[in-house]
Amino acid sequence: MQAEIAVAEHPREQAINIMYAVQGHYGYLPDEGLLEAAELLDLTPLELEELATFYDFIYRRPVGKYVIHVCDGVVCWMFHENSVFEYLCQKLGVCAGEISADGLFTVLPTACIGFCDHAPAMLVNGRLYGPLTPLLIDEILEKLKTEYCDLVVCK
Amino acid sequence: MPKLIIDQRSIEVPAGTKVIAAAEKLGIMIPRFCYHPGLGSFGACRMCAVKFLEGPVKGIEMSCMEDARDGMVVSTTDPEAMEFRQYVIEWLMMHHPLDCPVCDEGGHCLLQDETVSGGHGRRRYLGHKRTYHDQYLGVFVQHEMNRCIHCWRCRNFYQGFAGYRDYGAMQIGNRMYFGRYEDGPLESPFAGNIIDLCPTGVLTDKPCRFVGRRWDFERAPSLCLHCSLGCNTTGSARYRQMWRQEGRFNEMVNGYFICDRGRYGFAYESHPERPRRARVAGLEVAWAEAIQTAAEKLSQIAATAGPAAVACLGSARSSLETQATLQRFCRALGWSEPRYFSVPSQERQVKAAIARLEAPLAVSLREIETADFVLVVGADPVNEAPMLALALRQAWLKGGAVAVLDPRPVFLPFEFEHLPLAPGDLEAALEALTAGAGGTDLLAGGSPWPLLPKIAALGRRLTQTQRPVIVCGTGIVRESTPGLAADLVLRLREAGLNAGLFYLLPGANAFGAGLLSPAGEGLTPLMEDLETGAVKALMVVENDPFWDYPDRGRLVRALDKLELLVALDYLPSPTVQRADIVFPTLTLFERNHSSFVNQEGRLQLAPPVHLGGMPMAQISPEKHPPRTFLSHIPGGEPRTPGEILAELAAAMPAPVTLPGDDLWDWLSRKNPVFANIVSLFESPPGARLIPEAVPAGTFSPAAAPAAAERPPDYLELLLVDLIFGTEELASYSKHIQPAEEPPRLRMHPADAAKLRLSSGDRVALRLLGGTLEVDLQVAENMAPGVLVLPRHRQLNWRLAPDYRVMVAYGDIVKVEA
Ligand code: SF4
Ligand code: SF4
Ligand code: FES
Ligand code: FES
Repeated sequence: MQAEIAVAEHPREQAINIMYAVQGHYGYLPDEGLLEAAELLDLTPLELEELATFYDFIYRRPVGKYVIHVCDGVVCWMFHENSVFEYLCQKLGVCAGEISADGLFTVLPTACIGFCDHAPAMLVNGRLYGPLTPLLIDEILEKLKTEYCDLVVCK
Repeated sequence: MPKLIIDQRSIEVPAGTKVIAAAEKLGIMIPRFCYHPGLGSFGACRMCAVKFLEGPVKGIEMSCMEDARDGMVVSTTDPEAMEFRQYVIEWLMMHHPLDCPVCDEGGHCLLQDETVSGGHGRRRYLGHKRTYHDQYLGVFVQHEMNRCIHCWRCRNFYQGFAGYRDYGAMQIGNRMYFGRYEDGPLESPFAGNIIDLCPTGVLTDKPCRFVGRRWDFERAPSLCLHCSLGCNTTGSARYRQMWRQEGRFNEMVNGYFICDRGRYGFAYESHPERPRRARVAGLEVAWAEAIQTAAEKLSQIAATAGPAAVACLGSARSSLETQATLQRFCRALGWSEPRYFSVPSQERQVKAAIARLEAPLAVSLREIETADFVLVVGADPVNEAPMLALALRQAWLKGGAVAVLDPRPVFLPFEFEHLPLAPGDLEAALEALTAGAGGTDLLAGGSPWPLLPKIAALGRRLTQTQRPVIVCGTGIVRESTPGLAADLVLRLREAGLNAGLFYLLPGANAFGAGLLSPAGEGLTPLMEDLETGAVKALMVVENDPFWDYPDRGRLVRALDKLELLVALDYLPSPTVQRADIVFPTLTLFERNHSSFVNQEGRLQLAPPVHLGGMPMAQISPEKHPPRTFLSHIPGGEPRTPGEILAELAAAMPAPVTLPGDDLWDWLSRKNPVFANIVSLFESPPGARLIPEAVPAGTFSPAAAPAAAERPPDYLELLLVDLIFGTEELASYSKHIQPAEEPPRLRMHPADAAKLRLSSGDRVALRLLGGTLEVDLQVAENMAPGVLVLPRHRQLNWRLAPDYRVMVAYGDIVKVEA
């Protein structure tokens, strides 16, 4: 990480990459990780927190192994996005941001993920799915439960 | 200059003016939340929507984002625009609590005003409101985050304008949170401004919380006396006590903002031990009796030991009226001229500075913001004149560069170049820069001075600028340094640059004191006169030598020799405590108008905020006015020094009437700079008391006296200022005291290594007058060869013969725990 910072003209350019790296290590960006990253980047904790909490894909609280980002964009809304979100929450027994009992899933909304032509859509650990139906969602969840996936929570 | 029409009235404004500002010039206040004239436009709140009817922009647009342009026809009252703003306010109010009656902002709240004026009277949203946890932000600022409307003003000031990095905006969208990473005091000494800026009750003034509504207060324009810049404030008093100070706009001095020392330093005014009654020999007596006793004793000493045996000491914190009246009083009685400084080197420094300040050279604080290069010599802006640091930052934000030549570990909230030179080297550097600006090749002679190449490089950059400003402090520099700074400015001007000069002085009215002090070497230092017994009676007017005289032992011995000590003051100072006769005086907030001259010679007027008297809280625990009627104000005995002196003169056995002519007439006969004073009521930015003309072509730089070489194995002790804890008035303020940092001695790592000391060590410093113990902090970014010690309230630093002394290595030892 230090090497990455060293090549940048201003250390803060590397803020996102460093936060991702820390997140890749812990599964989320814990306070210790943020403080350490801030020091490496020559930023105050507040400055890094401003950035960290701006982005949907940086998690400041523990999340499940799979973070399901349901698109909150206009097109997906037209295609009943809300019911997708609610369906997922119901199915997994969680509210937004919580971890399902098996530790595998967290459901979060996100802005348009550029998959509008497959609306309603969602993004799970870097993979796009859509157009979603309850049936398809069930299938995807089943598959994720059995499939191997490394802990890098976002790509 | 673009010309446009707003609400059927036309106006011409300088290019780059926003429509919202142009409208303001016409007296039309377009509703706004994020826009503030001191911060600029951000387009964050959408409240300033107006309709552009004709011209380059059409339709509903934000008036804070559009530059005024030719041909624009704008309507602020167009129904479409009004409807737009009504929706914006409704939307902003969606999450805002509906409990103005329990909010401290209620009554002076922009959100409240604009909700009403915007026509949002009925609530339609019935859902849950968003809530947050509040943070502890220190002793000055109260946080109530549920009231936030996400206008960004606080962050734009805190990080953008002021450059501090521990407060900001976290989260996004509806959840956005303005605060710190975690609970804790705000680090910026300018944080109080976010209270003034926040348009709602999120950030409110903690010491003034729930004290009253705006209409409960007596409010008046006032001035800050906590450094020499003279920032403008608005004071609020209630129940005979000052509660709050806010920044007040002055286009030439502080702009819109002030520092926290200025905001919270006022509480000396209601100090519980403040003298309120006349005292003789420690006992409270009737006023007339004290006047009688003082007049008799003073005249008796003058009669037996000669008029020169009575001396008066004024101060650099008194108003010009007080300073001048004291001089007139002494002259009328035939006593010797009053002194205004107890430390002679300070008097010489002030005089050296103001002697060189002439109208064409002097720049105001605001003008520094437009400089393209600022060279700061022997000054630590944040600690000596806080708002200067923000002015420098504005210059830097506009692309200007800032270089600091100072031995201390100077911090500024932006990038700057720091050459940590010892005080003696500062003069050599100034001389070199002056020679360089005159075309001398500094590196030609092959001087052995290792710093010369850096200074030469600085000089080259300096001469390539157009509007450089030289800032010169008077705290730690040699007495000849201010003159050398002026020489450099003159040389730069000869070279065709529009160079400016900006001094810092020790005290809110040090300039006035300097103008009134006798020219040249002046009088024998007061301390010598006391020691030789030449002075037998001393009258101290709003001065406390116990505060600033560097050698406490010598001071006490000298004062012990006196037959009579008379003190006039509003502070419960050690001088007041040991005085034989005490007359309580008024602070600038009470009853009288007073004027002060800031460090650039600007005369400013402070009208009274309230009538004075004992704070209600100190006589009535229920904080309710007494239910009996009195014909006088309880605790209202204090008077202005001018009134007291007149009474004294009249009570002398051979009564003297002080000259009846106007004080200002007298001053202008004495010094022509006073002649062109216009009425300060008509000149809000104040009038300058500096001579107009610079004698052209008569410039020859003075040779700096050879800097006294520091003997090897010695360190030069510098007694310096901190933002909190070293300024006299603010140190008596209960609001400032909890914000003080514990005092620390600072030293360069090279010296620490030689002395085998490290940060955190407890160090004993053996000085002439005794030994002082203090924690050590090793600082990289300072000059080797110096010790930096704050003149801190909590520190017994007054052990040295002068403000600058040499301390032998052997006299700095570690105290084992
Ligand atoms: S705290 Fe006040 S100034 Fe800051 S964003 Fe909220 S409403 Fe605006
Ligand atoms: S900078 Fe000086 S004059 Fe201005 S508010 Fe602060 S202490 Fe007062
Ligand atoms: S709106 Fe959902 S992917 Fe674009
Ligand atoms: S004042 Fe113009 S958008 Fe806020």
